Amino acid sequence: MKCIVTIELGTNGVRIFAFDLDGRVIASMKGYYPSFHTEPDRTEQDPEQIFITTLYVMKNLLNEHIHPKKYKVACVCFSAAMHSVLAVDKNGNPLGNAITWSDNRAKKEAQELRSAALGRSLYAATGTPIHPMSPMLKIAWMRNYDKERFRQTSKFLSIKSYIIQQLTGEYLMDYSIASATGLLNIHSFNWEADALQYAGITAAQLPELAPIFGSAGKLKKAYQQSLGLPADTKILIGSSDGCLATLGDGVKGEGKATITIEDSGAVRVMGPAVLKDEQMRFFNYVLTEECYVSGGPTNNGGNIFEWFTRQFGDFTNPFDVEQSMQQLIEEASQVPVGSDGLLFLPYLLGERAPLWNANARGAYFGLNIKHERKHFVRAAIEGILYEIYSIGKTLSEQRNIKSLSVNGSFGTIPFCTQLIADMFNKPVHLRRKFHSVSFGAWLLSATEMGIYKTLDQAARTVELPDVYKPNKQHHAVYADYFSVFEKLSTKLSDEFEAISNLQHKHTVTKAFS
Amino acid sequence: MLELGMKKNGAMLLNTFPTTVTPCIRIYYIIEGKFEWRINHQPYFFYPGDVALILPGVPFGSDNGTLEIGSFTWIHLDMQKLDNGYIIPGKWSGLSDSEAATIGKMLSMTGSPVLSRFSEAGKILKCIHTELTGHEIGYQTRVNHQVDELLIKMIRHMTQQVHPGRDFPQTFMRLEALLREDLSHQWTVEEMAALVGLGTTLFTEKVKSYSGFSPINYLINIRISEAIKLLKRPDISVTDIALDTGFYSSQHFATTFKKLTGYRPSEFRKNHLSNE
Repeated sequence: MKCIVTIELGTNGVRIFAFDLDGRVIASMKGYYPSFHTEPDRTEQDPEQIFITTLYVMKNLLNEHIHPKKYKVACVCFSAAMHSVLAVDKNGNPLGNAITWSDNRAKKEAQELRSAALGRSLYAATGTPIHPMSPMLKIAWMRNYDKERFRQTSKFLSIKSYIIQQLTGEYLMDYSIASATGLLNIHSFNWEADALQYAGITAAQLPELAPIFGSAGKLKKAYQQSLGLPADTKILIGSSDGCLATLGDGVKGEGKATITIEDSGAVRVMGPAVLKDEQMRFFNYVLTEECYVSGGPTNNGGNIFEWFTRQFGDFTNPFDVEQSMQQLIEEASQVPVGSDGLLFLPYLLGERAPLWNANARGAYFGLNIKHERKHFVRAAIEGILYEIYSIGKTLSEQRNIKSLSVNGSFGTIPFCTQLIADMFNKPVHLRRKFHSVSFGAWLLSATEMGIYKTLDQAARTVELPDVYKPNKQHHAVYADYFSVFEKLSTKLSDEFEAISNLQHKHTVTKAFS
Repeated sequence: MLELGMKKNGAMLLNTFPTTVTPCIRIYYIIEGKFEWRINHQPYFFYPGDVALILPGVPFGSDNGTLEIGSFTWIHLDMQKLDNGYIIPGKWSGLSDSEAATIGKMLSMTGSPVLSRFSEAGKILKCIHTELTGHEIGYQTRVNHQVDELLIKMIRHMTQQVHPGRDFPQTFMRLEALLREDLSHQWTVEEMAALVGLGTTLFTEKVKSYSGFSPINYLINIRISEAIKLLKRPDISVTDIALDTGFYSSQHFATTFKKLTGYRPSEFRKNHLSNE
């Protein structure tokens, strides 16, 4: 029996799934790796630990579930978080840690470029919003402030490129990950000269580009032996987590959008054309030459509700945040739709789409004397989802969205999924069983292996069995309150800036532990 | 070996509480009043119910020796200093060797010398006082028991203060950082669990569900990752790498490394130092 193994290099760890050729999960395992915040605005990960964790989890999964059942691994396919940068020297050895997507060190560069003409043309050419997450800006930062490392760098890789290079010896980057670096022209599929020049590098300092179906090379002998995989095991380079989550939900085709809400969130659509936006609010990433994944990301998703839970939840069992969240959600469900007019702006981490304002901050608005503790709980959840709705609303100015799918740990909480259906006034589909990203990687592998003729055909077979239907009365209430939410989020921009500046001024910088 | 005292101060006094350094552990419990003391040159405020914990060799006192109005009790405990720099309770203690070592290690790593709202310490000190003045049969044993009790309660209070049981990701991150700081130490699950204030069973379960690995396997992960970094530098021997990253021997390192990566450490090093 053949099986397909998908490796998802995520923000907090690696998740590995083994599927059979019908798309059923045989087994899955995960392994955590940490992020380091050595200074404010910095988020880094240790490439060696990511590699060892991946190898370790892979080995455990194969030894415990695949080899004993006599499955033959036909294909291994990768997905990874976008926007990471890892500098390596001429021997391919890392120069320091990898810089991950949530790292904000290049915020000054981003701010300057965003308001410059070059920023506009780079956004149009590369599809990557001008934001500190962009590897182009991170590399530019390194050139300015980490000169020694910049000078020694032979290549700038992504985390996935490094893991693949360790396993097979090839320096490769797929078009999806490349299209999220801010360095790739998403129309010509070549590195963009102006972007390279801005970053101060040459194309030779980047990995070779490969389509998502491309081979990532052959496993090195030592890993063939330690993993127990034959030399002819196909290793697919795969795509990015955002693109594959969209594919995994079957969003290919007109009228569909997918909402991901994990710690952070995004609303995405897929199609043959890019979204153009004067205000540069949307990303356009490449899945294939005929297909772009476009949308808007938010900083404030499930992490905000987790924050709320840690501050205000009851913890009967130590560290049992799930149970405390569950209790709060029960509390929230006793509050009328719209929280009796209490609104919550969820911008605790600043905001990307649709505001693109790092200084945005959170707020409760509309408090009256009748509001109780439970209103705060419901308003917090509603606020997070209004923000998702607000991204969806700006997207629907360009695309006709008829139905939605939801994935991610926060979005798939039934209470939240229903709220999404009500706010959008559209049916919401989802699959509770497993992760959309890995399923997207399975669809990709299955297409490469000839099980499906095209990705389109593969995507069309996706069935999302659970459906949440919108409640029209609820929608009317949310629509009323949303109009105030939307105004607040833009109206407060001066005050956001003022309070954010004061917070910087009066906060004693604490050593990050 | 052991000093117990109580001070009730009716008026502000100068030059009565100078900064001193002693080889014992000093524990001060505030009964009344508000005190500003310097511990290791840093100023701290103490309120009733708070405990100040001063480790051996750490300067402690107040500016100009000022003693503010209020009352407090204290105890000085004799500690043994081990070769590795950690302290363990003296011979008087009835703690088992491994628990004494864990407690000593945790005391040495404590971040803040302030244990706030810790009235249990006051009760124990009062009991010790009663035993010492009463001299009833068995009082020595009881005093030693009470002192052990005080140490245990302090450690538990300290970990709960740092890890209030709400944020496992953050707790795990702090633990990670401590493990990395002292990777050559032979960490036990008991020590790791104690550091985050959980029992070993619950700790192992939490780590497994959060990280996908048992605590020991997670630790091996960190060890190998650090070892890989060192192997890519030409200036440190494989034996030193093995010991620095917490393996018993270079043999143990080589076996573990090969099992996971398929390479012997020396082979891995050769591949990465030359241009492949």
